[in-house]
Amino acid sequence: MRCFTAKELKEYCGKNGKPVYIAYKGKVYDVNGSFLWKNGKHQALHSAGEDLTESLKDAPHGEALIKRYPVVGCLKKK
Amino acid sequence: MVKVTREVVERSGINVDELLELLVKNAAAELTTYYYYTILRANLIGLKGEGVKEIAEVARIEDRNHFEALVPRIYELGGKLPGDMKRFHDLSACPPARLPENPSAEEILKVLVEAERCAVRGYTQICNMTFGKDHRTYDLALAILNEEIEHESWFSEFLGEGPSGHLMRRGETSPFVSKFLK
Repeated sequence: MRCFTAKELKEYCGKNGKPVYIAYKGKVYDVNGSFLWKNGKHQALHSAGEDLTESLKDAPHGEALIKRYPVVGCLKKK
Repeated sequence: MVKVTREVVERSGINVDELLELLVKNAAAELTTYYYYTILRANLIGLKGEGVKEIAEVARIEDRNHFEALVPRIYELGGKLPGDMKRFHDLSACPPARLPENPSAEEILKVLVEAERCAVRGYTQICNMTFGKDHRTYDLALAILNEEIEHESWFSEFLGEGPSGHLMRRGETSPFVSKFLK
């Protein structure tokens, strides 16, 4: 499984034909299939290609909604 | 746009353009839900559908009322609805509540309860953003949230997930949101 740097992950923002990936707790998830991540943005507040581990603490949902999606890699630590 | 109305929200620290995007997305969710629930409601047939159809209808009309209540606030804050209705549909904050392939009462209920859960999360987010800062939007979002929670609780109970805590539904439609519709 591929490991992404933060810089590499940023490319997977849903633009220019790139798929939509997000990172959470060290894993990279493919959320292309999610209606709520269309065009690489989620609820006006979050962008794809980012590590959303901290952001989830303020979200009105838990990690179960992220873990529905397939893992496509890991996020390299800084 | 109402100048001072927007200004006081900006000064409270809220990113008004972000808030507007969320309000428009949730307004889209309400109107599309009203449409899709019309189809779901029409398909709640037979003995099993009979027990659910009235409560589904209440949720359908209340979601339409939520759209009506959101629109003035969007314009007050300097926002607007998209000029293209197809685009409006596609930017909805919640996935379309489509008729399931097997349109049994139980499968329809699963669609209904997921739609309501998405709405509960959406309005919780708006309440969190606006609490103590944008009093009018908070009041509106809280009113809608109260009704969405009731919707979720009804459908969840019908699915056998546990008691909703509601014994009977009385009185007017939109008990919380109706004050914004006058």
